[in-house]
Amino acid sequence: MNSQESETDQELLKAKQTGFEPKIVGFLCNWCSYAGADKAGLAQLSYPPNVRVVKIMCTGRMDPQFVLHAFDKGADGVIILGCHPGDCHYKEQNYRAVQRHRILLRILREFGISEERCLFDFVSAAEGEKYARVIGNIIEKIRALGPLNRAKLASKDQVLE
Amino acid sequence: MDNKPVKISVFFCRCGGNISDKVDAAFIEQELKRLPDTIHFKVVDFLCGEEEKNMMEKELAEVRPDRVVVVACSPRDHEETFRRVLVKAGINPYLMQMVNIREHVSWVTVDKDRAVRKAAIYIKTAIRRVKLHKPLEKKTIDIIPEVLVIGAGVAGIKAALSLAQAGRKVTVVEKGPVIGGLPVRYEDVFPDMECGPCMLEPMMGEFLHGDHAHNIELLLLSEVSEVKGFFGNFQVKIRKNARFIDPHVCIGCGECVNPCPVSVPNDYNFGRDQRKAIYFPFAGGLPNAPVIDWNSCQRSKGTDCSICKTACPMPEAVNYEETPSVIEKNFGAVILAIGASLYDVSRFPNLGYGTVPDVVNSLEFERLLASNGPTQGKLEMSNGEIPKHVSIIHCVGSLDKNHAEYCSGICCQCAFKYNSLIAHKAPGTKVDHFLREVAIAGKSDYALYQQAHQRGETRFFRYNAIDDLKVIREGGSSFILSQTDCGKAEKIRTDMVVLCPALIPSPDTEKLSAVFEIPRDKFGFFEELHPRVDSGKTKIRGIFMAGTCQSPMDIQKTMNQGVASSGYILSELVEGRKIEVEPINAQVNSDKCSGCKCCILVCPYKAISFDEANEVAEINPVLCQGCGTCVPNCPSGSIIGNHFTNEEILEEIEGMLS
Ligand SMILES: Cc1cc2nc3c(=O)[nH]c(=O)nc-3n(C[C@H](O)[C@H](O)[C@H](O)COP(=O)(O)OP(=O)(O)OC[C@H]3O[C@@H](n4cnc5c(N)ncnc54)[C@H](O)[C@@H]3O)c2cc1C
Ligand code: FES
Repeated sequence: MNSQESETDQELLKAKQTGFEPKIVGFLCNWCSYAGADKAGLAQLSYPPNVRVVKIMCTGRMDPQFVLHAFDKGADGVIILGCHPGDCHYKEQNYRAVQRHRILLRILREFGISEERCLFDFVSAAEGEKYARVIGNIIEKIRALGPLNRAKLASKDQVLE
Repeated sequence: MDNKPVKISVFFCRCGGNISDKVDAAFIEQELKRLPDTIHFKVVDFLCGEEEKNMMEKELAEVRPDRVVVVACSPRDHEETFRRVLVKAGINPYLMQMVNIREHVSWVTVDKDRAVRKAAIYIKTAIRRVKLHKPLEKKTIDIIPEVLVIGAGVAGIKAALSLAQAGRKVTVVEKGPVIGGLPVRYEDVFPDMECGPCMLEPMMGEFLHGDHAHNIELLLLSEVSEVKGFFGNFQVKIRKNARFIDPHVCIGCGECVNPCPVSVPNDYNFGRDQRKAIYFPFAGGLPNAPVIDWNSCQRSKGTDCSICKTACPMPEAVNYEETPSVIEKNFGAVILAIGASLYDVSRFPNLGYGTVPDVVNSLEFERLLASNGPTQGKLEMSNGEIPKHVSIIHCVGSLDKNHAEYCSGICCQCAFKYNSLIAHKAPGTKVDHFLREVAIAGKSDYALYQQAHQRGETRFFRYNAIDDLKVIREGGSSFILSQTDCGKAEKIRTDMVVLCPALIPSPDTEKLSAVFEIPRDKFGFFEELHPRVDSGKTKIRGIFMAGTCQSPMDIQKTMNQGVASSGYILSELVEGRKIEVEPINAQVNSDKCSGCKCCILVCPYKAISFDEANEVAEINPVLCQGCGTCVPNCPSGSIIGNHFTNEEILEEIEGMLS
């Protein structure tokens, strides 16, 4: 549990008792990761339904504002999945996405959002199993972190200062 | 259209139970009734079936919805299918959103209740998103069917011939005075030891004078100096140097050569013999016409020597007044076929190249073995004697982190070809192979290696690193010192050493990659669009490649690539057909663009240029592949990622969280 997030033990407990189901947005690139998710489907692997997928053509399209918007509108976590290094359909835009993600984590910290809530990983078109595993893992992780307490986050103005 | 209520057709595919076993269509229908929009909800068993698609088309034509949502399988399977149905029904195909309920919900969610709730969220989100969709049009652009081939080696010739045979006009730009590339400089060709000229001459004859030669324009002594434009319409400047001989008039008799008073070392034979200022690069070179090396010619030094012109039986063939010219032409596509170079073996001082006599690289050795070479094909040392011991060192510069990291795949074959030729030309001569690895795959390729093994005169020595070998001269004889695995140094007598270097990118690869703005890979070869799926395409649309400028390869693969590159062109650049431009691409709002050029840096396809007059960025829709990387990189938010706009994605995020 990250100290920046000040959910108290009681809050956490409450979430656990009420069966906290995290809401997570998954940004998947069209060529590898979305296909990897399809592969998981074809193999009929099961995973919990908490991650809602937004398709983008490439992780290079990932705009940090998408993640901020997701947290603002109720997400407890975000996961960005792209092609493995060297496999990006558009050459190496996933490297750029990784760089942007690193910067984004710093911004999130300013807001008081733990970096554990915003994950970047690689899933290829063949890795249906990995997809199901990564999705399962992030759901467990966010479940353990508890709901994102929006009331306690810094405001945009505060961060801009 | 914004979020105002609209009329939406929702097609729910049950996929024969694959979807409906988990996701109850009736529940979804009830959920959608609560929306302010007018929803036409239709449940179908297999929407991708022919009958169902016809039904969908009819329904769309009747209902005339503002937007369409298809709840079914992955858009990777059937988005295009349903887009075509929309087109048939007279609706813009981009006004549809597919919801992947099968792969992403019904097949992966155990609990029915949770599955149906997830599905409802996905479908309602799709409705929110699709309301923001804009109709997009596939633009079309006229093309120029003519093709430019750069390099008249085997790859370039094969490509040009394939295109010309299909009736396509081709211009071939060759830097040198003759065609044929590397293989016309050697005689015997592995793996079958076929006679190279006999194998290539019919093809070159076809290229120069065959039934389809009228479709080929050959520009010798020429290089591309400038390129503008894009797939379908490249504007190219070609600089053509003077030959001073008109090959169309010249009859190739050679009367002009002998009388020439100037002699210089012949670079085609690495200076082992002399040539005149007017010369044929080698006997049998095509086209069969000499060339004047202006720098050596006495006329360049101010005399008015005209001995060659006087000797020529066709006086108008020699033209001292010819000057370099610049040719401007437009082409729809380009094939790069400029070949490769040999690794510079003088970078290994321990191997004695340039310091110990009779140490040669593989190409030089090929010239010694060729009957049109400096020794007329006799295996002779520089002192005219026949060598009794020849050492062949494999992998020079290959498989070596400090030099060329890869295996060129042809040098072992070359080495065993030399073994066979030595056996033939100097039967008693001993041949020692120094090798690190042996790489000879392929159905006919092992034979030469086996033959070498069976010859009594052949020995094999393994070495670990090139530094373990040393070529030295002692008391008028040469030796190879070889460090063996057990640390002992063996001293092996040798008369001649042949170094088989790695094939590396030619220096012109870098030059042309700058002219065409195409990326090179980590070794410096032109980079493939995809190394396995599309190894004949560069990263830039409309620029193809063939032969060793892509990667080291033998003649067989080179020929295949020559045909492959022309195949791409014949299928993608069709006369009379326009190029369709995918509308899911990026677009600059020039009113908002501040001209900072941040987008230009991140585009992998060089699709973005700067409009100097208006000081704004401009995206070429033909080159843009729609990755969207430039969109978030724009500090002023002036780039629109069509079909993946900020508004659409933000709306989708919000929908998913509601
Ligand atoms: C020593 C040696 C022996 C070999 N022996 C065999 C063998 O026995 N069997 C076999 O299958 N393979 C052999 N190979 C491999 C074979 O030579 C290559 O596969 C083949 O040459 C590749 O053809 P290419 O057309 O790609 O390039 P090249 O044959 O090198 O031709 C490239 C052409 O492009 C021209 N050019 C270069 N730069 C420019 C420019 N900027 N503008 C215009 N024109 C340009 C060059 O002048 C040349 O004519 C051997 C290679 C070597 C080095
Ligand atoms: S296409 Fe998958 S990360 Fe770029």
